[in-house]
Amino acid sequence: MAVISLDGVGRQFETSAGVVDALADVDLHVEEGELVVVLGPSGCGKTTLLNLVGALDAPTSGRLAVAGHDLTGISGGDLYRYRRHTVSFVFQNFNLFPGLTALENVRFGADVAGRRQGEAVAEEVLAKVGLAERATHFPAQLSGGEQQRVAIARALATGNPVLLADEPTGELDFHTGVQILGLLEAQAEAGRAVLVVTHNREISRMADRVVELSGGRVVSDGPPAGGRAPAGSLRW
Amino acid sequence: MARLGLWLRWSLRDLRARWLQVAAIAVVIGLGTGAYVGLSSSSAWRHDSAAASYQELASHDLRVDLAKGTTVDADRLRAALRATEHPGWIEATTVRLLVPVQVDASRDGEPLLVSGRLVGVQLDGPGGPAVDALWSRSGRALGPSDDGRPVVVLDDHFAAEHDLRGEQELTLGGSVAVTSVGSAISPEYFVVAGDGATAGFFGARTFATMWTSLATAQEVAGLPGAADQAGVLVAPGADVAAVQAELEAALAAALPDAAVTVTPLTEQREYRRIFDDIDGDQKLFDVFALLVLGGAAFAAFNLVGRVVEAQRREIGIGMSLGVPRRSLAVRPLLFALEVSLAGVVLGVAVGWWFGTALAGLVERVLPTPVWDTAFQPAIYVRGVLLALALTFLAASWPVWRAVRVTPVEAIQVGPRATRGGGLAPLVSRLHLPGGSLGQMPVRDALRRPRRTLLTALAIAAAVGLLVGVLGILDSFVATVDAADVELSGTSPERVTATFESFEPADGPTVRAVGESAEVGRVAPFLRVGGELAAVDGRERFEALVDLLPLDDAVWRPGLVAGSYDHDRPGVLIAQKAANDLGVGVGDDVVLRHPVREGTGYRWEESALPVLGVHRDVYRGLVFMDLADASLMNLDGIVNAAQVAPVEGATHEDLQRSLFGLQGVAAVVPAGAFIEAVRSGFQQIMGVLQLVEVVALVLAVLIAFNSSSISSDERAREHATMVAFGVAPRTVVGLTMVESALVGAVATVIGLGLGAALLGWLIHVLLPSTLPDVQLDLAISPRTFLLAAGMGVVAVGLAPLLTLRRVRRMSVPDTLRAVE
Ligand SMILES: Nc1ncnc2c1ncn2[C@@H]1O[C@H](COP(=O)(O)OP(=O)(O)O)[C@@H](O)[C@H]1O
Ligand SMILES: [Mg+2]
Repeated sequence: MAVISLDGVGRQFETSAGVVDALADVDLHVEEGELVVVLGPSGCGKTTLLNLVGALDAPTSGRLAVAGHDLTGISGGDLYRYRRHTVSFVFQNFNLFPGLTALENVRFGADVAGRRQGEAVAEEVLAKVGLAERATHFPAQLSGGEQQRVAIARALATGNPVLLADEPTGELDFHTGVQILGLLEAQAEAGRAVLVVTHNREISRMADRVVELSGGRVVSDGPPAGGRAPAGSLRW
Repeated sequence: MARLGLWLRWSLRDLRARWLQVAAIAVVIGLGTGAYVGLSSSSAWRHDSAAASYQELASHDLRVDLAKGTTVDADRLRAALRATEHPGWIEATTVRLLVPVQVDASRDGEPLLVSGRLVGVQLDGPGGPAVDALWSRSGRALGPSDDGRPVVVLDDHFAAEHDLRGEQELTLGGSVAVTSVGSAISPEYFVVAGDGATAGFFGARTFATMWTSLATAQEVAGLPGAADQAGVLVAPGADVAAVQAELEAALAAALPDAAVTVTPLTEQREYRRIFDDIDGDQKLFDVFALLVLGGAAFAAFNLVGRVVEAQRREIGIGMSLGVPRRSLAVRPLLFALEVSLAGVVLGVAVGWWFGTALAGLVERVLPTPVWDTAFQPAIYVRGVLLALALTFLAASWPVWRAVRVTPVEAIQVGPRATRGGGLAPLVSRLHLPGGSLGQMPVRDALRRPRRTLLTALAIAAAVGLLVGVLGILDSFVATVDAADVELSGTSPERVTATFESFEPADGPTVRAVGESAEVGRVAPFLRVGGELAAVDGRERFEALVDLLPLDDAVWRPGLVAGSYDHDRPGVLIAQKAANDLGVGVGDDVVLRHPVREGTGYRWEESALPVLGVHRDVYRGLVFMDLADASLMNLDGIVNAAQVAPVEGATHEDLQRSLFGLQGVAAVVPAGAFIEAVRSGFQQIMGVLQLVEVVALVLAVLIAFNSSSISSDERAREHATMVAFGVAPRTVVGLTMVESALVGAVATVIGLGLGAALLGWLIHVLLPSTLPDVQLDLAISPRTFLLAAGMGVVAVGLAPLLTLRRVRRMSVPDTLRAVE
């Protein structure tokens, strides 16, 4: 059974200039252990899609369920519980807490998800992204790539089954971006459902599956064109 | 020009985007400006009102007094007043007879027996005399038909104090029944008068002035046709000094055997006191005005600074596009100017409210017929310009700072935009309970130490102001309590009976008092008026000298230094007097005192050692041993007695019992003095309560605004937390903890500031405003609690006001917004 399943999902925005169809009639299913990249130009609806899955926003039409939770009519306490225990986010601009150290930022993920031994979990996860020796550094003392790794560690520390990453490589150079995507891929292999958004077609070649969006609609869904490429063969 | 239009539109858009914060800053500036103009304009209208009130009641410009205890024929006095060289310089005159009387105003078994004065006046004006008219406050005024009738009008201060307005039956001198038909105020009695020696010491409670027709006064005094005082109204344009000289000459010629003095109104004590008070109050008000304005300017600086900081990136973008700094500064400066303008406009309204409230207060304490609290354009313009300049300058500094950074710094985004951890690394090893969330409040507070400190300082300023204001109130209360404890002492129910005249210590009045019911112990003593001065004559003030049988008194003052024992005459003076005169026990002071000579008195100055320093708060209270009355040639003579009731009886029983006793002029409970001290503080207390309200509102607004701005600045962090499933109330709870922490620091600083301010006020400023009273610095637990309550609780709760905003925050939009 798919962990993430969207059936005919649409999201309309009412603006003073009229109604904007950010997403229309989207069908998308992501399995456990699968890394799916959503690809498309700016403004095609990628972030909107991710926000729906993360329950930061609600669809105006269609059905949406994640890990057995029907998100169509979710509200109140369930909403926060869902966010704490089901999904976790990695953002384009990291959004680390500047007042907390790298380790504490990671620990935040474990804490909100209510995991026991948050400290140990955080240390373990931070080591997994290769930043054990930067534990006491504050975000401002880290490079962009390191900050994003901390952000990923924070998302992983929640232990939640669904990982959502919105342009996680957008702020980074190509090489660092590939590293980051490698990390995400490893998460999928470890059994999570990973949904990554990017506008970078080259990077999307690392995925099992690429869903292409255009004007809020899915225009293609399948393995990357030319087949899945190992990280080393990607070129900028 | 088109450029300026763009900047203007843009800055107005900034205003609109942050309207709530802008409104809060404007209110802060408005309160500061308003309190400033309201307080600083008060002396102008009080001066004007007092002057206009004197004019309204046709107050005399010159007063003619006969030597105490002497009179002349009223017609001869009138004729003499008309016999000046230039009668045209005099517009009108009036003659009076002042009769000291004992007034029994007891009602329904409530004994009230006080000294008083019956003033016989010419009833030739609409509400009594044409010169020194009576301003009717209750009941009816005196008219021509009251001539010779036993009808009086009571001084309104006394009437109000004892609830004697309207019609009352009074008994004068034990036997003359008169009807009080109303109450009124006369220009000479704008401030409460006493009878010379005790003037100003006991206030409105214990001295009753009454007006009646000249004929009635003459009859009560048994002096038909007599007068002993005249008021002279100088014609417009005439020179008062010249008229005074002519009057002196005319009176000397017409009344060669009478000792007459002519005093200009402007040299009369009551008149001077009004204007001195206004100036003294103004000094105090100015301090508070500046403090409030300074606090508001600081808050404005702080808040505008943070708004400007939010524009840093835009400023940096502008820089990198080659826009000169000058131009970049235009938008935030316009913003600052607009905020300041909105503030001062509001300030004019607040100032008007403040002024009105102040006028109400002053009027209650010092009622006069004219209250011209007219808007004082000059002062308002000055105040508003000052406030505008101050707040604008305060707001400009952060602008200057913002445009000084390099474009690279300003536009940094992403990895570096989060800036350093500030002082947070200092505590990165300190782990507070509560996991990662538990660390956030302290970390966030320390992350921007400069900003946190500024916010804390702004709140501290308000807390300090509050502590200063409440501290003065506490100190007043402590002073009154101390006076109460000291004066009540071992015999709280005692009364002081003052006699109508001097008599031997075993004279008939003393005996009669001793034989009255309810009387336990009687200690006759001598009370005279005088002056206390430093040996070098530099400091000098009025004194009330009580010569008590120190070894055998019903009550004697407690001493903080020295002793009652002595082998030569000396004085016990108040701590405040000792400080002001710069003397201690054993040093000499100069006492100006009367000396009996034949049937009259002359004044003499004697250098006397300070035997001891007593605990009373009033500096004019001087005590001597009755055995030293020889200094005044009054051995064995007394004019008053301390009377203690028998076991179980109260001062009221005593008053009732001594009531109407032959030779007793007044019976005053020990507590009356406390009332006088208390009422002396009344006006300042009222003003302080106004300032207190302003300080409270300021602190809450500052706290609200800084948490509102914080919540804007942290929107992204908050959105991130919400995206991870942290509930808005937890998010706001964290900011509340942070705010409370900042508030706690602010409270500590504020308490320090407040104590320093209070020390300065009590030790430096108030002694010149309230020279007669010794104030001891006191801060009550209630003040501590209120300051802490405001600084920690109110400030800690302020973020709650942003809860709604966090709840309604659109997480996607907040996260999307790439700064
Ligand atoms: N809150 C909103 N109000 C109006 N339109 C929106 C809103 N959010 C997104 N849109 C519109 O929806 C479309 C898709 O936006 P988004 O999902 O952010 O695109 P992407 O992430 O692919 O760049 C865009 O045209 C955008 O303008
Ligand atoms: Mg996007």
